[in-house]
Parts: sequence; C-alpha cells; structure tokens
Amino acid sequence: MRSFLNPLFALMLAAALAACSSTPTEDDSSATDDMSQQTDTSPVTPVEPSTPSKPDTSSIPLTADNFYNHPSNYDGTTDSRVIYFAFDSNTVPAAAFETLRAHATYLKNNSNAKVRLEGHADERGTREYNVALSERRSKAVEKFLRVQGVSSSQLEIVSYGEEKPAAFGHSEMDWAKNRRVEINYTAGRP
Amino acid sequence: MKLEYKAQKIWRIGLAAILMFGAVMARAELLIRVTEGRVDAVPIAIVPFEGAQNAPEDVSQIVQADLHRSGQFKPLPAEDMLSRPRNESEVIYRDFRVLGVEYIITGSMKAQESGGYEVSYALFDVNRQVKLMSETYRPPVSQLRDVAHAISDRIYEQLTGIPGAFSTKILYVTHNRSDKNPFQLQYADADGHRVTTILRSQEPIMSPTWSPNGRKVAYVSFEDDGMPAIYTHDLATTNREKVSSFRGINGAPDWSPDGQKLALTLSRDGNPEIYMLDIASKQLTRLTQHYGIDTEPRWLPDGEHLVFTSSRSGGPQIYKLNINDKSVRRVSFEGAYNARPDVTPDGRYLVYVHRRNGNFNVGVQDLQRGTFNIVTRTDMDESPSVAPNGSMVIYGTQDRGTGVLEAVSIDGRVKVTLPSKEGEVREPAWSPFL
Repeated sequence: MRSFLNPLFALMLAAALAACSSTPTEDDSSATDDMSQQTDTSPVTPVEPSTPSKPDTSSIPLTADNFYNHPSNYDGTTDSRVIYFAFDSNTVPAAAFETLRAHATYLKNNSNAKVRLEGHADERGTREYNVALSERRSKAVEKFLRVQGVSSSQLEIVSYGEEKPAAFGHSEMDWAKNRRVEINYTAGRP
Repeated sequence: MKLEYKAQKIWRIGLAAILMFGAVMARAELLIRVTEGRVDAVPIAIVPFEGAQNAPEDVSQIVQADLHRSGQFKPLPAEDMLSRPRNESEVIYRDFRVLGVEYIITGSMKAQESGGYEVSYALFDVNRQVKLMSETYRPPVSQLRDVAHAISDRIYEQLTGIPGAFSTKILYVTHNRSDKNPFQLQYADADGHRVTTILRSQEPIMSPTWSPNGRKVAYVSFEDDGMPAIYTHDLATTNREKVSSFRGINGAPDWSPDGQKLALTLSRDGNPEIYMLDIASKQLTRLTQHYGIDTEPRWLPDGEHLVFTSSRSGGPQIYKLNINDKSVRRVSFEGAYNARPDVTPDGRYLVYVHRRNGNFNVGVQDLQRGTFNIVTRTDMDESPSVAPNGSMVIYGTQDRGTGVLEAVSIDGRVKVTLPSKEGEVREPAWSPFL
C-alpha cells in the first residue's frame, strides 16, 4: 500500500483526526456523554445532524496535482460517483477507497444493481491511445470492486478517452477533472 | 520542373506576395488561409476567365485558390496584371515577364443552351513563350467546382510532375456542444467547400477513415447505448454496417490497401491488441500479443505490414508489424511519446504525433534516410493524415481553445489553416484519389 506513505494522505489523515476530536458528531459516544451531563445544568442546544465523520478538508488546498486524491471529492458513500486519477496514472487514489467500498457494499447487497464504469482521459495525447489509457482506469476501479466481492455480472466497462470531458477548458485543473472514472448505475440505482 | 532556382526572383514580386499572404481564399464552412508559403513559390498569373464573373462559380478563382493553397505557387493578383489575355492570340509574354511571372493561365466560361457551361483553359510558359496545354470541359452547373479542381490537378501535375490532389475530399468529425447532436461526421472538398454531413449523434464519433476506392468510410461511433462499435458506411447509398462491437474497445479502424480487411483495436481478450477483420467473411485474426497498449494501426502500401502505437517499451512508440509472421520491430526512437502514425502513399515517410517539451506536434520520419523532422509548431497537434499525392499532411490542432484543422507540406515549408466557423473540427482524414 504505497499510497499510505503518500505525504498528502498523511496530511489528510491528520486533518480527519483533528476534525473528529474537535467537532463531535451524533454517533460519537463521547459526545453523547457530554450532552447527557449537560441536561440538568443548562438549556440544550441541539446538535445539528451532519454527515457522519466527514472530515473538514478546507485546510488542504485543492490543486490540480492533488485533485485526484483530495478528500473533498469523496464522501465515503454511494453519492460519490466519480473517481479521479493522477496524470498518466491508473492507480485508484487512497481517498476514494471508502467511497468505492460503499459502492461495493451496496452492489453486494443489491444483486439487481448494475454499474457501468466509464473511463476518461484528459485531452493530451492521441485519441485512440487515450481510449486505451482510460480503459486501464476503469479496469482498475473494476478490479477494486471485484476484490471487495462484487460480481462481475454487475460490472460493465466503457472507455471514452478524451471524447467526453467533464471540464471543457485547457488548464491543468480542467485536465485533473477529466482524468476520471464515472460510476453510472444502469440498474438498481441507490 | 525544378523549383530550386527560383529563389532570387522572389523579391521582384515580394510585395504582391505579402499582400496575398494570409488572404482568405474561400468562403465556406471551412475557411482556408495560407499562413506560410515557400519563399521559392512559383509566380503564376491566372487571368480571370472570360465570362466567369457572370457564372455561378468562378472557375479561374477556384483554380487560383487551389494553386495558392498548395504553397508551391504564388498567384499574381488580377489588379497587378498589365494585360488580361483571353486566349493565346492575346498573350503578350513581356507583360508577365517584367512582373517575374513564369506561367500564365487563360480561359473562358460560356453558358450553354443545355444549361451547363463550356469551360476552356490554356497554360503558357512565359520563359519559353509556348503553350504547354489546353483543354475544354462541358460540365453541368453542379460540376463546375469539380471541373475547376480537375484543371488545378492537371496544371499542378504539368508543372511539378506530381499529380494534384485538389479533387479529393476531407473527412472529419465536428463537435458543437450547443447542438442537439453535438457529434457529426462530415466530409468536404479539399478546399473546404460543399460540406456533406453523413452522421449526427449525441454520442462520440471517432477515428474516421476512407476505403481505398473512396466510396466508403469506416469510423467508431458510441451511438448504440454509449458503447463503441465500428461501422462501415457507403457514401452514395448511405448503407451502414456494424462490423465490430465486441466487449471492450472497438477502435482505430484502417482499411487494407486491397479494401478486403480492416485493421482495428479490440480489448476483448483483456487489453488493447491489433486485429485484422476480413470484412466479407467476418473472420478475425489477432496480430499482437502484449500486455502493453497496442493501438492505432495503419497499413503500409504493401498490404503486408502495419505500423501501430504500442506502450510495450513504457511510453507510446511506433512499431512495425509483419502480418504474416506477426514479427514486430520498433521504428521510432526520438523522444518519449510517439503515436498515431500515418504513412505516405509511397511508404517512404511515417507521419505521427510527437511530444516535445510537453507540446504535441506532427513529426515526419524518413524511413529511407532515417531522419526525423518536426513540421508543426503549434500545440495539441493530432491525427495527421497524408494527402494521396504525398505532398501535404492535414492534422487537428487547437486555436484559442477550439479544435481546428491545419495542413502542412511534408517538408514543413508550407502551412495552411482551415478554421471552422462554429464548434470544433477534428480528426481529419484525407481521401484517396477519387
């Protein structure tokens, strides 16, 4: 797991831990204890329900270089449908692991559900070669889901290369947004 | 004809040349501009044809634009002509010699009672003071442009010894996000006129290519539920056939020189490999075996070899494959990114995309002498396609963020821009001789 040694990931992990300790959430048991102790002393300000343990990532600058592995792109649930990739890479980013595990769990629990993994590349390089590169990305995501136990009959791959960009500009950030695999449910959408 | 000894004459007609430089040569969906010409381009005078100003198409203007666009000729503007001969008896060679003009074209267009036109022209050599050729055509109005391009072809061949490619077509993909069908497959005359749309789609269209007789095209279309398939498409009948829709990639079709087979890329066996499909029998032959990416095959003229892009050494490089024994050998060695080869009709030059300092340009490799030349200076240059006479390469590039087509001579000395009015134009494929 080379990715875990990535300094960016270490930074994210630190940010996530810091977030957990400073902003308790509903399912945090220590927070519940705090609240019960408060009941007989002062009026309670109810804690706003929030997404579980979503770390505060605002301290990590979002750049074209770290875009693929930036936690703000992945919420750890099946709501996140896009996995981004580093330049010239088909390695699934560590920040996307939780999101992909959520999809895997959903697919295993809903055998009627099917996803199409759409691979994309940025515009640099030749078109058919980019189709081939983007297939490697969708295959990497497919492999991740298969390892989690998802049936291959629920997975389908299509490779668009640079033909269907998500961002139409020509900057490094546009390219970062286009190097991606989209998880599209064709049946049994969550 | 020798072009080399003309250089010292350029300055005499230099001003005229500068005025022509960058002039818009044709009004159509694709506007064509000559952005770089040869300094030794041959001065030629195309005298406005008698009767052309009243005709629906001015054949003399079309011929002038064709010859100018080749980059090898420098037409004399009509307003600079000292005399405007209508035929041989009116030619005063001295009037053209003093302007440095080496060849004169005269002609006429006469409306016929049948509704068509009689188009005549003659070509004169100023230095030798002789008529080199003359011809007469009687086309219907709908074929006036064809006749003009045919005349350009004849003159170009007479003066350079190389067949002209003005009567050919360019096939290309357009992308216009605001259109209900953003992706369209179109072809046009080589001068950008007479655009015909052959396919409109909401899903991507890629990698269009011509059959060797120019009657059909093949391409990749994602129209069927967003999944890729390769189609052949008869231009006259519009009959289409889906010839490849395997699991995974169906890409990069290229017609064999005998028209019987398609080379293509399929990933149905796990990763992208080059296959050969017999179109009639549907028999499929796998040609490569490698875990790297193998794609973008192009036939060599002998029909026995292909060149293709492979990542088997790391980044993409060009390889040559013998289809009989399936042996593969690397051909490109310059730099870390070489891809999407095309081949000149004589098999001597490979033309492909080369990355240098992060820029993507078109490079030309001379397979005989082993030299390599980068012939474009823009960025994001892609999909080079060689004209059937081997003189020019058309390719896609970006102009202020929009996809446009440009053409460059194989020696890099002539450059022509074909900007589109709306949306993107990409993946040009130059037709064979039609």
